[in-house]
Amino acid sequence: MNTVSAYHNMTTETHRRSAIEIARNRLMIGVVLFCFAFLIMIGRTIELGVSAPKPRVTATRQVVTVPEVQIARADIVDRNGEILATNLETASLYAVPKDIKDPQEAARQLVSILPELSYADVEAKLSSGKKFVWLKRKLTPRQKWEVNAIGEPAFQFEREEERIYPHGRLAAHVLGYVDVDGNGLGGVEHFFDAKLGDKSRTSEQLQLSLDIRVQYALADELQAAMRAYQAIGGAGLVMDVSTGEVIAMVSLPDYDPNNVRGVADTEKFNRATKGVYELGSTFKTFTFANALDDGVVSMEDGYDATKPLRISRFLIRDDHPKERYLTVPEIFTFSSNIGTAQMALDIGTERQQEFLGELGLLQPANVELTEVGAPLVPPVWRKSSTMTISYGHGLAVSPLQLASGISAMVNGGRLMTPTLVHNPENWQTGKQVIAPDTSRKIRQLLRMAVTKGTGGRADAVGYRVGGKTGTAEKAIAGGYARKKLISSFMGVFPMDDPQYAVFALLDEPKGTKETFGYRSGGWVAAPVVRNVILRSAPLLGVSPKQEDAGLYQDVALLIEDKKKK
Amino acid sequence: MGSARMFGPRRAEKNAFQRLLSLNWGMILVTLLIGSVGVAMLYSVAGGAWDPWASRHSMRLGVAFIIMLIVGVMDIRYWMALSYPAWGVGVLLLVAVELVGDFGKNSQRWLDIGFMRLQPSELMKIALIMALARFYHARPFHQSRKITTLFTPLILIAIPVLLVVRQPDFGTGITLVAGGVAIIFLAGLPTWFFIAAGVSVVAASPIVWSLMKEYQKGRVLTFLNPESDPTGAGYQITQSKIALGSGGMTGKGFLEGTQSHLNFLPEMKTDFIFTVLVEEFGLLGAVAVLLLYTIVLTYGLLVGIGCRNQFGRLLAAGLSMTLFYYVFINIGMVMGMMPVVGVPLPLISYGGSAILTWAIAFGLILSVASHRHVSLAPRGSGII
Repeated sequence: MNTVSAYHNMTTETHRRSAIEIARNRLMIGVVLFCFAFLIMIGRTIELGVSAPKPRVTATRQVVTVPEVQIARADIVDRNGEILATNLETASLYAVPKDIKDPQEAARQLVSILPELSYADVEAKLSSGKKFVWLKRKLTPRQKWEVNAIGEPAFQFEREEERIYPHGRLAAHVLGYVDVDGNGLGGVEHFFDAKLGDKSRTSEQLQLSLDIRVQYALADELQAAMRAYQAIGGAGLVMDVSTGEVIAMVSLPDYDPNNVRGVADTEKFNRATKGVYELGSTFKTFTFANALDDGVVSMEDGYDATKPLRISRFLIRDDHPKERYLTVPEIFTFSSNIGTAQMALDIGTERQQEFLGELGLLQPANVELTEVGAPLVPPVWRKSSTMTISYGHGLAVSPLQLASGISAMVNGGRLMTPTLVHNPENWQTGKQVIAPDTSRKIRQLLRMAVTKGTGGRADAVGYRVGGKTGTAEKAIAGGYARKKLISSFMGVFPMDDPQYAVFALLDEPKGTKETFGYRSGGWVAAPVVRNVILRSAPLLGVSPKQEDAGLYQDVALLIEDKKKK
Repeated sequence: MGSARMFGPRRAEKNAFQRLLSLNWGMILVTLLIGSVGVAMLYSVAGGAWDPWASRHSMRLGVAFIIMLIVGVMDIRYWMALSYPAWGVGVLLLVAVELVGDFGKNSQRWLDIGFMRLQPSELMKIALIMALARFYHARPFHQSRKITTLFTPLILIAIPVLLVVRQPDFGTGITLVAGGVAIIFLAGLPTWFFIAAGVSVVAASPIVWSLMKEYQKGRVLTFLNPESDPTGAGYQITQSKIALGSGGMTGKGFLEGTQSHLNFLPEMKTDFIFTVLVEEFGLLGAVAVLLLYTIVLTYGLLVGIGCRNQFGRLLAAGLSMTLFYYVFINIGMVMGMMPVVGVPLPLISYGGSAILTWAIAFGLILSVASHRHVSLAPRGSGII
């Protein structure tokens, strides 16, 4: 080794060493970064665990085991005893291949009766020489008779039961559905799975609070409106305001629980309980009840609504600007956001939060379904949140929660837990959330909103309908889509003695020639409520009658009509 | 082997069987432990049933275990010799996907090769690291530090990245770039260069934005402000956060998760499986799984530190980084720290490609560990 190459080797060696050193040093940085990154992840897990919104605690065990014996499952009926879900005996076909003399012939004959089976498949099974193979589950009685007529002793039947929903799509989201082994997978079928499937109790029935006739009226009207306004979805509810019983509950698009194969998740999604929406002006009812009950305002007070209200980067406008000073009843009737937002400021953020919390609008609804959506509450409840929430933006709740809250506003102030089960022994008096007199004032305001305000198209003549429209722009990334609306109407009837709340919601309705292109709740959802009331009031035992105008005299005087001007 | 002599006597090399015995079985065990967490979670997601997911997942784990051992025992020189060919095959497969790929979930990522569906972009993650490690292995250090040497590695990275992003699969694209950058960093390129590159990436982001598809933009926007679209694109993240929060310290118990069992967490058996874990096993469960990953991946980096040849060092470190990106991106995404890009949680999420990637990558790390004292010729040893 001469000096030159030794020198050369030396430098290569130095390079090698520094290569190792640099790589090692940088790798050590890597190790530190690794551990740091994992620490961040762990920290974030803990942060979320401590701070994330807590959903309901009703955890139902959902262990599915294949039953060895035939299923038997209790019937589900509506409040009048009409059958909504029952079991039908069917037979499932199996074969004992080792006993078959001529598998080809047997297969050929079987496939001619059950053409949905493939010949090759059946033939392979029958010539397998096994002791047992399933051929087809759940044959109709006629198919069973024909298979018996083949006279092949190796074909045998196992008795089974099939869940049948005679009303098909009607009430699909309430009922839910079962899998092939009879396990409830959605709706009350899932919620009451253990009870319904209890072999010792199959003679009992599960009686729901639904009235299938009202359910039909609601589903039919909502479907028609959805088609007319090309909406992408709809939701509807009829609730007994004094007991909290759900009389009808519809979510569209729907599905047929008799055949759930290939049903999309969007169709299984229950918009009435699982969907949460910013519902717009219907929420003003709560703001007014809150303010009147606390004595923050009286009916004779008013607010300045001459010009839009600026709060930080928001501008609060009215959809029907009057550009003047408005009285409290006027603010409600003409649905003024400006007036309502100022009222909310007088109530204060903390009190608003407390009040909405009392109404159960900040936690998921407590009802006999597992498909319950958690409300979307602003992460930080700022002054601007208080103002927007006062007219129904920035807080998303499910239609069921709204119906339950509105029921309490009109029934004398008692908040009932919504229920899908008809069980008069369990009716409670409910929690008093507002004074009976405040409830009376809210009834007056709701009636005025229909007779003089934005809800005119909900006025089913003779049934003294009160209600509030709600039109909200759909929340999208970075703000609101002005062109996509959630249009709804919350109605109550009869207003002099409230019995039922009727809610209708359309998701992204488009205007038509008949509505002059309008897509707001007053134009598209209010008529649905009117028609549902006209069709179902006779079924529910509510009669039309002449209205006692005296009930609303004092409030009516505080509303200056546009026409008179 | 001129310079190797300066390091003293060469140690006797072990044969394949000795290498099998001397593998780090503790780490293999940790890997299998993570996998069995996956089996348990998939059992739970199916509502307490082996079929259809948990059973297949355990089968895949078994296969992965064997692949890991085979890869780990094989001579590192084979792998070094295979580095460039693997890269070439990866690129060819990516092109094949482009031409004949199946359409799955909006993007073209799969290649149906009869008995299984192959995701070439997954294999590319490994092949790219191998190729880069080999490239830098063959360069003397003073060359590795030069900017001019950067030309070939950039080409090696850019070709697969462009193909992957075209599919479009930004998650893998980012992983490839990050893996490549990690190797270049470890090979010794001066630090100031990375700072300059970082600045220019920020400057170039508007261009990337304009190249992205509408749904990808939506994801980024939703990431920046998930509350803005709670019922649409932000739904997944919001629900996922609720599920994460609902577990508490010890969770609701195995099979007791509600948020994740009812069908409002889309993709929960794949990308969002971590939420099921947190909901059912709580913070303690989540931290335990994170610790398992930390142990395995830190081991990978330590193998890199302890390795005496540049190829093994870069390979082990680069692969550890790649596996780390999976975990980090997935968990970050589920927790709303990153946009939803569709990266599975390796060994736990349902799906074959990610397990296979883990098996090969971890096998290679094991192989590096068994050959840490071997010196390799700069241009390969002519074994093939």
